[in-house]
Order: sequence, then C-alpha cells, then structure tokens
Amino acid sequence: MRVVWLVIGGIILFIASLWVAGANPLTAVTQLVTGSVGSASAISGTIRELTPLLILGVSVFLALKAGLFNIGAEGQFVIGSCFGAATMLALGGPIGVVAGVLVGAIAGGLWALPAGYIKAFRNGHEVITTIMLNNIAVNLTKWLVSGPFKGEKAVSATTATLPVNTQLTPLIKIGQFELPQAVIVGVLLTIGVGYWLSKTTSGYELRAAGANPTAAEFAGVKTKQVTVKAMFFSGAIAGIAGALQVAQFEHRFYDGSSVGYGFDALGVALLAGGNAYGLFASSFLFGALNKGGTSLMGLGIDKGITTMVLAIVIIIFAAVKYRQRGGQND
Amino acid sequence: MNLAVEMTQISKRYGDVQALDQVSLRVEKGTIHALVGENGAGKTTLMKALYGAMSPDAGSISINGEPVTLRSSREAIAQGIGMVSQHYGIIGELTNLENSILGAENGAVLTPSQNQQRAEELAQKMGFEFDWNAESSSLSPAGGQKLEILKLLWRNSQIMILDEPTAMLSPQDSDALYDSLKQLAQTGTTIIVVTHRLPEVFEHCKRVTVVRGGKHIADHEVSEVTATQLAEEIVGGSVIERPTPASSAGVESSLAVRELVVKGDKGEIAVKAISFELKRGQLVGIAGVDGNGQRELFHALIGYRKLVSGSVTDGNQRWDELSIAERINAGLRVIPEDRHHEGVIEGWSLYENSVLGLQTLPEVKNLSQSQEELAPKMAEKFSTKHGGLNQPMSSLSGGNQQRFVAGRALELFPNLILAFQPARGLDLNSTTKVYQEIRRRCDGGATAIIVSFDLDELLDFCDRILVMNHGELFEPQPEEARDRAAIGRLMVGAA
Repeated sequence: MRVVWLVIGGIILFIASLWVAGANPLTAVTQLVTGSVGSASAISGTIRELTPLLILGVSVFLALKAGLFNIGAEGQFVIGSCFGAATMLALGGPIGVVAGVLVGAIAGGLWALPAGYIKAFRNGHEVITTIMLNNIAVNLTKWLVSGPFKGEKAVSATTATLPVNTQLTPLIKIGQFELPQAVIVGVLLTIGVGYWLSKTTSGYELRAAGANPTAAEFAGVKTKQVTVKAMFFSGAIAGIAGALQVAQFEHRFYDGSSVGYGFDALGVALLAGGNAYGLFASSFLFGALNKGGTSLMGLGIDKGITTMVLAIVIIIFAAVKYRQRGGQND
Repeated sequence: MNLAVEMTQISKRYGDVQALDQVSLRVEKGTIHALVGENGAGKTTLMKALYGAMSPDAGSISINGEPVTLRSSREAIAQGIGMVSQHYGIIGELTNLENSILGAENGAVLTPSQNQQRAEELAQKMGFEFDWNAESSSLSPAGGQKLEILKLLWRNSQIMILDEPTAMLSPQDSDALYDSLKQLAQTGTTIIVVTHRLPEVFEHCKRVTVVRGGKHIADHEVSEVTATQLAEEIVGGSVIERPTPASSAGVESSLAVRELVVKGDKGEIAVKAISFELKRGQLVGIAGVDGNGQRELFHALIGYRKLVSGSVTDGNQRWDELSIAERINAGLRVIPEDRHHEGVIEGWSLYENSVLGLQTLPEVKNLSQSQEELAPKMAEKFSTKHGGLNQPMSSLSGGNQQRFVAGRALELFPNLILAFQPARGLDLNSTTKVYQEIRRRCDGGATAIIVSFDLDELLDFCDRILVMNHGELFEPQPEEARDRAAIGRLMVGAA
C-alpha cells in the first residue's frame, strides 16, 4: 500500500517539476510513455536499459540481505566489462562469450572481496571501501584500454570491437522488437537468488547475519564468512552484468562506457523492498524512465529531470521504510 | 554527626513493583559508606534518586543539612554530587584529558594547556598518573575507573557515588583504588560505594547500610558487625531447607571444565581459572550477583567468546575446539540472556525464527517444512501468546518471546542446555513449566546449566548449586549444599 502512495506521490512530484521546467505536463507525460513503451522499438529500448539495472539490482539486493550496502556495484560492473571484453576478444566465438562472462563474474567478485574482508575482520565500513574501489576500478580500466587492452586500430581508449560471432544476438527479433539474451540471464539470476535466499539453509543464514549478526552467531552462523561470501557473490553478479553488457549491447569496452548503472541499481534494489521479485518492477520503472527521459529532450527538457524525481522517491522510500522499522537497520 | 547526605523515607513504585519502600540513608561527611544488597534490592534506584536521575514518589533529601529537590542530574551535579555507574562513560576515541573535561568544558574554546595543568594537579593529589594525550581506549579497567573519579574531581564533586567500582579490578588495583578513595575522604569528600563484596566493606568502609527487596534492613558501624550477620541480612533470614529436587543424574560424566580463563569486554580477566565437572542428567544452577563472570563463562561454553586458557570437554570430545554450529549439532541448546540481541530476529516471523539455531541439524533439512512443523509446537510448549505464526517476532511481548525462545531450545533433542535467566519476564506458573521441561530433558539424558541471579529459583529447581563470585567458582560444602545462608555467604565473599 505504501508503495502505491509512493508511486502516486512520485507522479505528482514529476508533473510539478515538469510544470516548473516550463513544459506542458500532459504533453511531456505522453511523450514519456510513448518514448518508453509506446512502440516496439521503444519497448526494446526500455528492455535494453533495464537489463543491466536488473542484474546489478540483484547484486545490490543480495548484499543488502547480508546487511551490506554495496555501493561498489559500479566498479565491479566496470571491471567485469573490461576483463570480460578482453577474454571474449582473446578467445572469440560462443566459447569466448561464455568464458568472458565467467571471467567477468570472477573479476567482479574478486574486486569486491577486499571490501568483504575489511568489513568482516577489521569492521571497516563497506560503503567507504567500495567507493574507493570504484575510483580505482575506473582508472585501472582506463589505463588498461589505453594500453594493454587497446584495440589495434583504435584511436581512443577502447578495446577492439567483438567480431560478429562473438556477440550475443537477440533471442527473439520481430520487426523492431528485440528480446536480448542478457535479460533472460537477469530474470534467471533474480529467480535463482530469490530462491536461494528464501529456501536454502545458506540463504537463511545469510539473511540472519544481515538482520541480527549477534543472534546469527548464537545460532551457529559464521557471520564473518557470510559477509565475505556475500560480498564476493554480489561483486560476481555485478561482473556478469558488465560482461553481458559488452557481449549483448556495446560489443567493446571503452573508457566511460558505464553511464552509472551501478549507482542506479542502488535505487532499484532499495525500491524492490524485501522481495527479490520486486526487482522486476523497480528495474522496469528505472529502465522506462531512462528510455522515456531521452525522448523528453525533444521538448527541450533535460533528461536529468527523471533522475531527480527518482532520487526524491528513493529518499522518501528510505525515510518511510526506516520509520516503520522504528529506526532499525535492515 | 556531620551528615553530608540524609535521605529520608524514600519510596518509588514502578508499575506493580515497589522498588523502594520508605528507605532512609544517612551518610557522614568525609567517610566511605557502603550500600549493600542483592540484585534488585533497590541500591541503584536509591542512588539514582540521589543523583537526580529518578524522582521518588515520596521522601526527602538533604545535602549538608539543606533540604534539596533534585529534578535532574544537572541539578545534582550543581549540588556537588557525582556518580560513576558500572557501565562507565569513557569514550575510547578521546584522549584522557578530553575525557576528564567532557561535559564540563569551561567555554566554547578548549584551553588544553590550562586544562592539563589543572587535571595534573588533581591527579597528583590522588596519586594518579595519566598520559594526557593518549587515547582512553588504551586504559586498563583500573585506569578507566581512576579516570572516572578524576572526572568527578574536575566537577568539584563533594559527594561521590561509585557503583561496583571494583567489579573489573584485580585485588591489587582494588586496594590501590581504595587507598585513593581514603585520601579523598580525608580531605572531606564523602564517598558512597554500592557493592556486594563484603571483604571490601570490612577493609575499607566506615559504615554500612543494608537494603533488601526495596526495604531498609539495617545500619551498622562496620567495626560492630560480623560478616556472617551482614550476609544474612543481605540474603534474608529464611532458614527453611528445601528438599533437593529428584534427580536422575548418573555417574557418567558430561561437561568438564578445567582451569578455564576468559576475558571480559574491557579486557579484564572475568573468569579466573575455574574448574568443575558435571554428570549426565544433572540440572546445575550457577548462583551469584550479576557481573561476577557468569556471562563470560556462559558465552565461553557456547563458543561465542574465546578462551584465554583452559579446556572444556564433553566425554572424550574437546568441546572448546568445536565451532558453535558443531556444538549445536552435538546437542547444544541455548536460552540466551538477551533475547532481543542474542535470541531472535525481531523483523522475522515466528515461523522463520523457529529454526534459528537449529538450521544446521539434519532434522531441519527442508527449512520451510520444518518451520511449518516446529513453530506451532514451540509456541504451544509454554503457551506463547501470538497473533499468528506468520506475524513478526517484534509483535510479541517480552515474556511471550521468552516463552517461544525457551520452547525452541527444548524442542529438538537437546543434549546440553545452557540457560541464562530462563524465567526472565515469566510468571511463576510459566517459570515452573520451563524448569519442569528442562528437568524432563535431563531425565532423558541431557545436562543443563542455569545461570540465575535468583537464588530461590535455583534452590527450587536445581539439584546442584555452584556459586560465582568475582570470577571464581565456589561449591558449598555437602552439608550446606541447600543452605540458603551458606550459599548467600559465598555469593558475597563472606565465607
């Protein structure tokens, strides 16, 4: 029920800010809806936007359940993209794609690992360490694609483009409508993680460690190990998102190729609430606004207006949620 | 007699509990005065009234002969009253100097060199030494206690209340602390020490006041009273020997603890090389006043706290080398002291909480199925009142949470039951039921260790009673095993 009010509130807020920006709210909203779900190509665009957000959302969601706020999804995504692309280029073909995604997963997981260890054994806050790891990731990959991984004929900091046989093709393609394979992976990951957390003993122990570490310890859960493990898997899933982004959509890795999906994913995971399947709705909302927001530019309104509205909605959501929990952390 | 403190007929009621019933306290200026009594006797409540942290329902307070009304601690401090509580307020990240002046800074801008000079003078008077610019986290427990006293001196306290000041100190440090306190008393400061350690009272205090069950029991000049008399006044004069409950304890040994040493939260040695051995089927109670190492022993047996040295074995198995999960699989079941933090996950449903701590057992292979099966049984065992098993744990009252936690611990094949105040928040009827169920499990071959601050409860239900005092373990002589007064003497170190 609260979510419904939140959405209505968000819409009102959005219309108000459109009005302030000088646009006719009705035209703008129509434009937004048409631009995101109004046509086959618009829907395809929305799916393309929501794919990395969904997978990264799963990554952040998993960490949240273990009581960790993984702000490092962005860095793990970039690392996964970069090493995934390099592997795909080196091996080539379908094998290259599979190996690239695996390498992306491992690279992303390893990238998150220091944050997990520091949290578990030194109680260093994961928000700080993952932010720092993001900075290192961005600059490390920048150097890699300026040197070792740089494409032979490239003039800017980028890898070579994947050969056609090393790209993921859409699973379904009817006219303008495309269903990428990557989004299927995202759906499977969401269901898999949802099942793991709710039905298995190790998922139960992870949630216990996140909800009340002391009680979890008393119950025989090795909470330090859980923290490290959760951080690794969260990073690995973000790495998968990065590698799939290369294989399915970008077909190369270049400096600045991430537009901040890792940060949007924080909002996606928070809005999903306690349920993994909520990620479908929240990633769709973000994807549609991202896609539709672009078409607002035709009306002379900056795309940033959707970002701003989302940000406000998340803040309100966080405040409402925390108040309901009597100030207790998730 | 020149009275620094005169509290007359102080009464205070919390809900149904009469915490203080017309208690009076008269403390002579420039002396060390002991206030003694068991847990819940009303010592702390009485001191809160003097420190302005609680306003009594009735009664009056005079300081240096002047009637005062203390509506807040701020007003008490203005009257020159200072208090050091057991959970003292030193902030580890601040330096010793910053901690000394915290809350009594003399302006918007700190003047470190001036402050240090004054702090140094005060410390010298007391024979204390501090590295003023070191972080207080590096202080020993004794150093922390001294810094607390310095904080009071900084505030010009003329009346100091110290709540269990030696709880975490070694005997040498305790003696040194009292030497300083005596020096202070000679310069006219009045000191009230809340304690349950009678040797301290006899060695260092001039007068002693006994409270029990919220009532004033006696006042003595320390030189005119014996330890035995004081111990009896503290625990109450009931001399009726209770029958030992029927026990099916055999000869087969169960848990054996050898020379166990465990540290407390502040790095002090909380459990001092204790040894004991239990027989299978025994229901053992560990009596003692709160804060004498019971918590640390309990945590060490669970595996939540590391041992410094010593061993714990169960039969031929090295119990102390097992992880908590392995101990649970070997039959460990815990009713923890602090159910909110240690026992339940408040945001989870009763279903989800029902397998917490049992999730690794082979019997709980399928989580959902086990929850469906176990939660109703656990709730029913001690009649937990709830609004549906799918409701969050936080919707239950404290007593009902306790019922559920106890039900959970005693449901699936317990082998070693560890319970810390298992009857906390329960009425008499439920208390009996919980102990009966523990007894039934012991008759089935389990061993149980119960820590409780309520000696009567232990006498009623346990077939063997051990006593912890200041980190050491004592067992009454066989002929005194059920003697309330004898056990009481062990609890306060008067034996």
